[in-house]
Amino acid sequence: MVGAGFVPGMNAVIKGVALAAGHLGWEVIGIRDGFEGLLRPERYAEGGLLHLAPHLIENLDPSAGSLLGQSGRVDPFHVRQIDADEMVEEVDRSDELLAKLKAERIDALISVVGGQGLTILYKLHAKGLNAVCIPRAIENDVAATLVSFGFNSALSFTIEMLDKARQAAQAAGKIAVVEVLGSQTGWLALQSGIAAGADAVLIPEVPCDLQKLAAKLKEKMTTRRPYGLVVVAEGANLVDNAKAGTDKASTLKASLAPLALGDNSSHVIQRSGQAAETVANRLQLLIAEETFPLVVGPWARAGTPTAVDRQLGLAYGAGAVQALNTGQTGVMVAFVPPDIRFVPLAEAINKVRTVPPDNEFRRTAQSLGICLGN
Amino acid sequence: MSNPSTTPSAPTGIVLNIQRYCSHDGPGIRTNVFLKGCSLRCKWCGNPESIRVKPELSYDPKKCKGRECSLCLKDPFPKGAFYFTEGEEGPVKVNWDLTSGCDEASCSLCPTGALEMYGKTMTVDEVLNEVEKDASIYRTTGGGITLSGGECMLQPDFSAALFGGAHQRGINTAVETACNVPWTNIEKVLPHVDTMLHDHKLTIPERHKKWTGVGNERILANFKRAYETFPNVDFIARTPLIPGVNADEEHIRAVLAFIRPHKNVIDYELLPYHRFGLGKYEYLGKVYELDDYKTPSDEVVKHLQAIIDEAFGRTRQADPTAK
Ligand code: SF4
Repeated sequence: MVGAGFVPGMNAVIKGVALAAGHLGWEVIGIRDGFEGLLRPERYAEGGLLHLAPHLIENLDPSAGSLLGQSGRVDPFHVRQIDADEMVEEVDRSDELLAKLKAERIDALISVVGGQGLTILYKLHAKGLNAVCIPRAIENDVAATLVSFGFNSALSFTIEMLDKARQAAQAAGKIAVVEVLGSQTGWLALQSGIAAGADAVLIPEVPCDLQKLAAKLKEKMTTRRPYGLVVVAEGANLVDNAKAGTDKASTLKASLAPLALGDNSSHVIQRSGQAAETVANRLQLLIAEETFPLVVGPWARAGTPTAVDRQLGLAYGAGAVQALNTGQTGVMVAFVPPDIRFVPLAEAINKVRTVPPDNEFRRTAQSLGICLGN
Repeated sequence: MSNPSTTPSAPTGIVLNIQRYCSHDGPGIRTNVFLKGCSLRCKWCGNPESIRVKPELSYDPKKCKGRECSLCLKDPFPKGAFYFTEGEEGPVKVNWDLTSGCDEASCSLCPTGALEMYGKTMTVDEVLNEVEKDASIYRTTGGGITLSGGECMLQPDFSAALFGGAHQRGINTAVETACNVPWTNIEKVLPHVDTMLHDHKLTIPERHKKWTGVGNERILANFKRAYETFPNVDFIARTPLIPGVNADEEHIRAVLAFIRPHKNVIDYELLPYHRFGLGKYEYLGKVYELDDYKTPSDEVVKHLQAIIDEAFGRTRQADPTAK
């Protein structure tokens, strides 16, 4: 089962599972669109389940998206539906889901999920499901693993876009302010910013004083180099954003995110595009240099996976099968180089992998003279 | 939960909130009683706490004392529902997917009131006693009680009993509904209603389904049947006006064409959309789906209001801030 949220190259994971399981003589069934294939099979002319037969897997292109699709919601505990009286309601269909899995003679479920999906599978495991999870996170925010599936592809794409943004900034003699994914964590912004030679990187973990950032940029902008590149994570933590007149409504997501600090704090996560716009506008006022905002964000969710993700996907898939083969369920497969490990779901949930103060990438950025806004 | 009813046969209902001194939902100064539960899922909903029928947890991080308290990390709170992130200060974090076991009893353990339940069970008398406190204001202003929601017609017996009781106490009654309920529910409530405010959200069925979750065929049939079955009720049509969704002439004219043949539809009000409810989404751990929507401009509201005024044969200059 593939959870909500698109990441490039999901087929690699599916292939990893199917090949490793096939090797053991197990039969593998794919569920379409999260749990939809089981809960609403009537939506699929060819059935909600897909037999992942060897000939299908053999020709499966690991560079393509997900053979199984994914759904916007994977929560069987709150399935929105319309009842016989044409009224909308959310119903708990978790028991029905477990019964259907049993009826289909499915003994165990391997799910490729992000943070919220982990909690859902934790709950299903508590109700008796043999569940193994594979972490999928573009932001790389799942705590128990070093790298989640999908992160490396997003990172490569983001770097490519930043390179282009820098060239555009250079040609125009302006400062490009580029927003990248990362509402809770700054891994993507920081790593891509370093690779692309950004002048500044603003991440949720480091409160950014725009005045200081402006001073730093001014210093860097010389006649020899009259342009700049600022990378802003969606959830960048701008300490003077109150002054920037941020619409209060846009603080909403912040309060839902684990890093949120509440209303009176300055940590604001804005809707896609707002962080870049706010920073670009503020900087332009502060240093009288022309800025332009760009949003890479959502583009990084699609496309071709990198070599790293292809390997990682296959390894995660095989690892999940190995977990089941050694009798482990209720676990998440984690990649802690050089090992593949199995972490109990209870330990994997409620944790967010943020960039710690003593992180190597942070030190690298500082040595390279990249301003983090502090 | 509140005390059980003293008259056990009287219906009880799940009440979200009782708000006094309201002036926009029916004639005069009124007390609005919000019932819990809704049968639509409008993407712009300003009252997310009213959607689910059952009482549910609300969390206000500003009130939380943080690590030094940590009470909600222990029994009887559900395991894993509340947690702190390593090395981080500030209020407790909530994993909303694990909070379904929270109830009034557990929430009452939170010393600061950061944790509360939205919605409590009340009897007809408990509600009416509260409403009656402003009886003299209703008399001087022509106000009364307005039942709102969510969708109060989802609790038809309770609503009917509340209105029946209000009339007995000489209190004017108004209901605010979207009518996405079986006709039998409406039939129970309307005999006790003086004014019915009802929402014409979108005209075209598939657009209605897109933005609210269901088509509007049954809703329109209910409206028409209500107009015809209850000639003595004053009906006021309303549209929450949202740019990019329904703030256009086409919709307004379609609604006018629908209501004007019925003489007991006495007005059509526009409710320009404002981002009111967002703080509540935060308390419920829900993400607001209509993140990018704006308030309609004054010009648009004025233009549409003029069309309505013309249809009702009025010449007054519209005041878009009046609603
Ligand atoms: S019990 Fe209340 S105040 Fe204490 S940590 Fe939990 S939410 Fe905060």
